[in-house]
Amino acid sequence: MSTGWLIGSAVIAVIVAPLIGGLLRGIDRKLTAHMQGRIGPPIIQPFYDVIKLFGKKPMVAGGAQIAFAYAFLALIVTAVVFFALRQDLLVVLFILFFGSLCLPIGALSVKSPYSQFGGHRELLQFLAYEPILLLAAIPIALKSGGFPIANIFEYGQPLLPDLWITFIALLIALAIVMRKSPFDISGSEHAHQELVRGVITEYSGPYLALIELGHWYEMVLLLSILGLFWVVGGLWWLSIIIALASWFIMLFVDNINARLTWSWMLKFAWGAGVVLVALNILFINLGWM
Amino acid sequence: MIGSLVGLAILLPIITGLICLLIQNHKARSAVVYLTAVVLIVTSIFLLRQESFPIEYSAPARWEWVILIANYAILAFFIFAAVKDIVQRGVSRHNVLTIALTLAAGIPLAVFEFSKAPVTPMAIDPTIYIDRLSVIMCLIISIIGSLICVYAIRYMRDHEDHRMHLGELKETTQPRFFFFMLIFLGAMNGLVFSNNLLWLAFFWEVTTLACWGLIRHDEAPQHIDNAFRALWMCLIGAVGFGLAIVFLWDSPLNTISLAEVVSNGALASPFLLLPFALLCLAGFTKAAQLPFQSWLLGAMVAPTPVSALLHSSTMVNAGVYLVLRIAPGFQGTHLSTLIAIYGGAVFLATAIMAISQSEGKKVLAYSTIGNLGLIILCAGINTPLAIAVGIMLLIFHAISKGLLFLCAGAIEHHIWSRNIEDMEGIARKLPLLTGITVAAMLSMLVAPFGVLITKWGAMEAATTIGVWSTLVLVLLMLGSGATTVFWAKWIGRFLCQSPVPGRAKREPLIPLYHGILLVLIAFAVIFSILIAPVYNGVVAPSLVEAGYDASLAFTTGAWFLESPIGIFAAWPIFIIITLALLIPALTTRAKPEASRSSYMCGENVEVGVDEFVAVADERTELKTGGFYIENTLGEGNLNRFVVPTGIVLLVILFVLAVI
Repeated sequence: MSTGWLIGSAVIAVIVAPLIGGLLRGIDRKLTAHMQGRIGPPIIQPFYDVIKLFGKKPMVAGGAQIAFAYAFLALIVTAVVFFALRQDLLVVLFILFFGSLCLPIGALSVKSPYSQFGGHRELLQFLAYEPILLLAAIPIALKSGGFPIANIFEYGQPLLPDLWITFIALLIALAIVMRKSPFDISGSEHAHQELVRGVITEYSGPYLALIELGHWYEMVLLLSILGLFWVVGGLWWLSIIIALASWFIMLFVDNINARLTWSWMLKFAWGAGVVLVALNILFINLGWM
Repeated sequence: MIGSLVGLAILLPIITGLICLLIQNHKARSAVVYLTAVVLIVTSIFLLRQESFPIEYSAPARWEWVILIANYAILAFFIFAAVKDIVQRGVSRHNVLTIALTLAAGIPLAVFEFSKAPVTPMAIDPTIYIDRLSVIMCLIISIIGSLICVYAIRYMRDHEDHRMHLGELKETTQPRFFFFMLIFLGAMNGLVFSNNLLWLAFFWEVTTLACWGLIRHDEAPQHIDNAFRALWMCLIGAVGFGLAIVFLWDSPLNTISLAEVVSNGALASPFLLLPFALLCLAGFTKAAQLPFQSWLLGAMVAPTPVSALLHSSTMVNAGVYLVLRIAPGFQGTHLSTLIAIYGGAVFLATAIMAISQSEGKKVLAYSTIGNLGLIILCAGINTPLAIAVGIMLLIFHAISKGLLFLCAGAIEHHIWSRNIEDMEGIARKLPLLTGITVAAMLSMLVAPFGVLITKWGAMEAATTIGVWSTLVLVLLMLGSGATTVFWAKWIGRFLCQSPVPGRAKREPLIPLYHGILLVLIAFAVIFSILIAPVYNGVVAPSLVEAGYDASLAFTTGAWFLESPIGIFAAWPIFIIITLALLIPALTTRAKPEASRSSYMCGENVEVGVDEFVAVADERTELKTGGFYIENTLGEGNLNRFVVPTGIVLLVILFVLAVI
């Protein structure tokens, strides 16, 4: 893969990712509405929302809040760029984590009860999914011979048959990152709860738009990581199918579940997610997979 | 030349320390400390610039007698101090254990020196063996340690003013304080240069003594108790040390030269396993690993420069230094694998326990123990990559942790509290100090800083060790998540504030506080950017000298660091992240009219006032706080699992060593 091609794909990724992310959000809302017996907004409603938010008057409720909203978006875009450049998967994850951390730190830098609650709980979400994502990089590296994403493309075989256990664990992590039920601990889309809007309670107008954009990038990046499980020659389109299927499963689970407590989330994420990946690593090390 | 450099590095701080003991005048004593710092820093840099390594040097024979006598004098002093404590304050667990363990540590040493050794005192050639690892340690001790001593000049003045104001103190005790601080540096330099295990054991005891003296410095009952606890726990290590010397002498190798022992791997000579396990035990006690962590947590009662010194450049580093030093010796054994698991367990346990701590210095202490656990994990993985990562973490951790303790000390002297909850919103009052502290915390936590790069390296290294890597990796990843949580929520407490119109005004500069903090944060940033030259300059040569194949660790280019199975594009990441953070931070300024009070269900009083309207239209103050999950993650709860786990792992370690 030539350097020029890689840089080109990084530029395309930065431009296209929010379009896909926004569209997926729109479909998410539409499907959710149908599952709940409503008509729902138009599919491109998220774009209308973000554009409108950018036009709103900026309002600030705490010191470092704005800087962290910008940093959240900027770092996640950086992670997307490094992913498109096919860099080390662990490094991509570390940059993503730095970005993700800006959200709770921004929330904690406002003296607001709801925002503080949301921020602290977001840290617990982080504690739940970070180990799963990091661990998931290990079996991928063991199979494809190294951590650089470029290796996966050169590996020549699909990862899914050997790594389906890891894939299941990643679905759990994905739901926690996207704060989908039953893991919408730190801020939920559904109304009627004690948290108001949790971690993003104190963000409004253009700063909320930045965070929304960041989420789109984040979702596309995570779905792309799931797509890595099938990137071989002729059947490359399977990776897109896999990513979309994962996204749909997450959406479906979101709609049939209620929110649960943070301690349950942590137990489930560590007890099921981490253990699943660990088993996968063990099986590979024992030569069974 | 080399003799004088070694002499300066070891003896100068000890001599100037003794001089400090005699000087009552504050200015004159400060001058001595400044002078020692400058000479030590220059000496360590001269040492780095030596042409060929390793340097071997044999001290004149009279020094053997000095070491021998001084060693027993220190042990006698421990007994004296404990007996004096029994007379003054009655029998306690701590002073009785001190006496028992001092005897237990002295007996193997005496058996060796007066009955087994062919001559007394037993000299070996060379006495001093300096390779790149020793030089790295010497640089850390001499530069960071000296900066901490200089900082302490101002800190102790404020500290004593405050205590005199409270009526706790009549006259200055600083001569004794600087005596212990300076001999600490000299003893550490001696420790990392020694090749004769008897010398190493002697300097080991001096650091224990200095640590005891510094923890009990303020002389409240709690301080004295904690000092004795630190003493007897470190003496357990000394017992291991003494036994290791005896076993090594009795083994077919028949030597007490550290370099010779390490160059004979335990894989080929299994009889070395037990001495190595005993030396590791000594290292673990010094590095406050489980189940010995309580001495380092208790040491938090000491003035903050002491904590900074213990955690970054001396004491605990001696422990991990020893483990890294002997790592080539146990390469490829089951002992090595178990050490990796042990380090991982410590890393995870301390990261989780740090979440429940509300005292800032205790969070830092747990973080130190965890990072040392990570270094020990690397020593246990024992591949060239892992050892390189361990040494690099030692460097970066020393810088960042020294800095963080000094920040904590400076903050303490502004708000007179160590509680994280009292630090809410101090970014407003102390913008520069808080800024440095948050940057220092980020340097422990996120890409592209050195500590994170080493964490990345540790994960990649842990991937390559076969079946047991599964367990090591799980411990590592879970610990890594918990680490992020306790740092992030502390940063959150600093920044938590309501909007106040106008820009925050910088606090008045205190040269010895802000100056040294800025130097250290500059080190953290510069060494992270220059990670490839740092690796090529000192880390890779130290790998080669220890017998590892450095080409299997990192390969470096102008802008990247490549492990055998991954790549860290250090420079692009640094540039992009800096731009991504700095541009918005510098360009966006909220207009004063954009300020709003936070959402309170419509019951706010007015903008800029942290109050809301509660029951019966009464104005109530708005309060927020951090979470600590003490019910589940509190020290009491977790210690019930953590301490037995530590003991069990150590028992398995010895079982593996014996069979």
